[in-house]
Amino acid sequence: MSAYWIYFAIFFPIFAGVLLILAPVKKRNTMLVIAEAITIITAIVAWMLIINPPATGVVLFKFVDKYTISFKIDGMSRVFGALISSLWPLATLYATEYMEHEASDKTLKEKTFFGMYVITFGVTMAIAFADNLLAMYCFYEMLTLVTIPLILFTLSDAAIAATRKYIVYSLGGAAFAFISLIFLMAYGDTIQFTLGGVIHGEIPDGRENVLRLVYVFAFFGFGVKAALWPVNSWLPQAGVAPTPVTALLHAVAVVKSGAFAIIRLIYYCFGTEFLRGTWAQYLTMGVAIFTVVYGCSMAVKERHIKRRLAYSTISNLSYILLGATMMTPLGMTGALTHMVFHGVMKIGSFFCAGAVIAKAHKNYVYELEGMAKRMPKVFVIFTVCALSLMGVPGLCGFFSKWQLAKAGVESGMTMGYIGVGAILISALLTAIYMMQMVLRAYFPVEETEGEKCDPSWRMLVPLTLFALACILLGVFNAPVVAFLEKIAGGLI
Amino acid sequence: MDTMFTLYQFNDRLALSYKIDRISIIFLTAAVILFACAGVYSCYYMKGKEHMKRYWIFFVGVLCIISLMACSANFFTFYVNYELMTLVSSPLVMHEQTKEARLAGFKYLIYSFFGAYFVLFGFYVLNKYCVDLTFTEGGRLDMTLVSGHEGIVLLAVFFMVIGFGVKAGMWPLHSWLTTAHPIAVSPASAVLSGVIVKAGVIGVIRAIFYLVGADFVKGTWVQYTWLILILLTILMGSTLAYFEKELKKRLAYSTISQVAYILFGLAMFNTTAYEGALMQFLAHAFAKCALFMIAGVFIILTGSKNVESLRGIGKKYPVLLWMFTICSLSMVGIPPTGGFLAKWYLIVGSLDTGRPNFDWAGPVFLLISALLTAGYLFTIVMRGFFPGEDYVDDGREKVKLPLTVYIPIGVLMLLCVLVGIIPNLFMGGGM
Repeated sequence: MSAYWIYFAIFFPIFAGVLLILAPVKKRNTMLVIAEAITIITAIVAWMLIINPPATGVVLFKFVDKYTISFKIDGMSRVFGALISSLWPLATLYATEYMEHEASDKTLKEKTFFGMYVITFGVTMAIAFADNLLAMYCFYEMLTLVTIPLILFTLSDAAIAATRKYIVYSLGGAAFAFISLIFLMAYGDTIQFTLGGVIHGEIPDGRENVLRLVYVFAFFGFGVKAALWPVNSWLPQAGVAPTPVTALLHAVAVVKSGAFAIIRLIYYCFGTEFLRGTWAQYLTMGVAIFTVVYGCSMAVKERHIKRRLAYSTISNLSYILLGATMMTPLGMTGALTHMVFHGVMKIGSFFCAGAVIAKAHKNYVYELEGMAKRMPKVFVIFTVCALSLMGVPGLCGFFSKWQLAKAGVESGMTMGYIGVGAILISALLTAIYMMQMVLRAYFPVEETEGEKCDPSWRMLVPLTLFALACILLGVFNAPVVAFLEKIAGGLI
Repeated sequence: MDTMFTLYQFNDRLALSYKIDRISIIFLTAAVILFACAGVYSCYYMKGKEHMKRYWIFFVGVLCIISLMACSANFFTFYVNYELMTLVSSPLVMHEQTKEARLAGFKYLIYSFFGAYFVLFGFYVLNKYCVDLTFTEGGRLDMTLVSGHEGIVLLAVFFMVIGFGVKAGMWPLHSWLTTAHPIAVSPASAVLSGVIVKAGVIGVIRAIFYLVGADFVKGTWVQYTWLILILLTILMGSTLAYFEKELKKRLAYSTISQVAYILFGLAMFNTTAYEGALMQFLAHAFAKCALFMIAGVFIILTGSKNVESLRGIGKKYPVLLWMFTICSLSMVGIPPTGGFLAKWYLIVGSLDTGRPNFDWAGPVFLLISALLTAGYLFTIVMRGFFPGEDYVDDGREKVKLPLTVYIPIGVLMLLCVLVGIIPNLFMGGGM
């Protein structure tokens, strides 16, 4: 496939989204069909690129000599791209029903929403396909900007406060990441992503530790989007956004861009050779381990369903970072596995929560009493996702934890074992906060009255697919993991 | 019996495969008989209750999963079924759907998962140091890999012991048992106490004797720490049972101490004690299952959960109380019941080991506990038959109990005795 299709996968949704906002589409249904069509077309092109990646990249723009905005599809791009482009059309389909509840009479506002939603797809694809740190950085900043209207959607005071925090945190984090870009330009051979890193040869005057400090800065900088402690508080607060945003962007696309950037940073920029066994590794790993436990503990405390899931995301993202900071191929495999598997399970549970919010107007955990009777289908799916998140063997969550734990044990480091312990503590806390919801729904103390209110097919189709994916990715995890192993080994 | 059947291969290390060996047979025997009896008994106990469809689905589901667990050929298969068993059995605990029942079910789930994740830690570590995960007598440790890393492997074993200990009600993580068992519907508490708690025991046997190898653990700090925890559990369970006033709670405490006997037999790493443990496994399963069923009937008959209200019950329902008595004999360890033979082997085995301090401490603890057991079970029997001078009848009509009560309890009571008389029939020819 020609490399120029990469432009299509990135810029078609961006321009189409802009046109959608500007175009005088009056009827709601027409607008929804157009938005869905854009995402499906983009997803098909993206998948064709991922299955059959072009050997060469494309250069969009050239600053000076080797500093360019260019795109190329490598193994990592394929994984992240595949995840994003599978989820986006489904999430858009879900949003078409969900948004009826958010803004039934304001077609203009809704049009802006869907336009921005589609634009975000393109920007995220650009992050996935970026070939060097500069390109990734540019689109990473852009991602912050294009998601602002989505969080701001309701224009309530809470939404404005959340957005303000999001802007400050994200742009501040990006600034830290920018420092690493400068240093890598100075000390690296190139800023192209190269598995194994770009720092070779002598580093003058014992500046290694300066460079490692820069890595730590960048880790925390990109870590803002990955909701790393102590820069995580924007994420639960951003739960004021409509559920399609919290589910897709704040459980997968945006936050995993952060994790994706950190994997790029460790494995493709600084290189594991340069970092492994140093204080920089221990520090970043320690923070990831802490966040794993912290996120789950906060989730147990939280009683608002969406915020609880947001805290759960914080913890699960740090699983990925934990795998990444092990700085071994196995660790990277674990990180990538969890990136994919967690994406599916978390978006599934978020969408279930969204269905409950939209159809039954319940926002808090204690309101779930007996809901399984009113929404039987939704809660079957929610239970599957919850069990998968807890890591019940057979479902996909077990196998991503398995890979991470295997990496931790094989690394032989004490920190590795502590990491495994943290994952298990977090699994227990996950059992607490997810089962609490499931039990409330299925075993009400008093039989609740109320009509059945399962959503229509537009919500149920994506939900069913996610639940199926939880099961199928678990049962057929071996080929997926083998593929990711090849990427971590530099074979793809 | 040696053929292994692989159902599905998840990846190169993890496969679902099944095989039948001696442990499987013993566990299957107990499970199938107990579930059959509890099933018949349910027809009496659950009459007129709501959500019966759900009850039967999960009741049969638990049996299926337990049977699969009994026949697991490798540790992964065992672990999968172990976790599923926890999940599927929890609706039985919460069946009444009261606030307490749901809390108890939640506690049961969380404690069980806590244990399961301890096990999982051990599993993660052992996965690195084992040749493969297939159960083999003598263990599958790869000694060349282990050398130099004994510390972490022992730690992993210890984590597994603690983790499985949660299900088996070992101190300090026993408290779910005395919350969940009394609150569950009686047939469910009967199988919980008779079979599900034993899954923890089977887990320990599989992990230590079939995955790690007993020789590796023998004489290490793991063994000694484990023994201390077990002895504490034995004493604590019996003592608390003695002071407990609520009938089903008393039986739950009794389970804690009796299951610890089994663990004690395993932790001594001695063939005689091991046989004793397996025999205690069966004897306790039959006896405790029957006792919980009788307790369920008593609660329905008297309308009260307390031991106090059982005064004079033997006047109206002598057969039931006689059954209670015979099962109690087995619990205390009086011939000719299975409990006696089991304790005999446990004590003889323990004295044989020659482990300093533990060889005599074990028997002493067992005997003290037997005394306490007699104290908390026989008082019920005595007050039931001989209520005393000042006893006034509570005025309730004598109800004719259906055969669905007498048959399952009678069968279990007979088995209790049979284990003591012809142990070979049950023990898979090991004696």
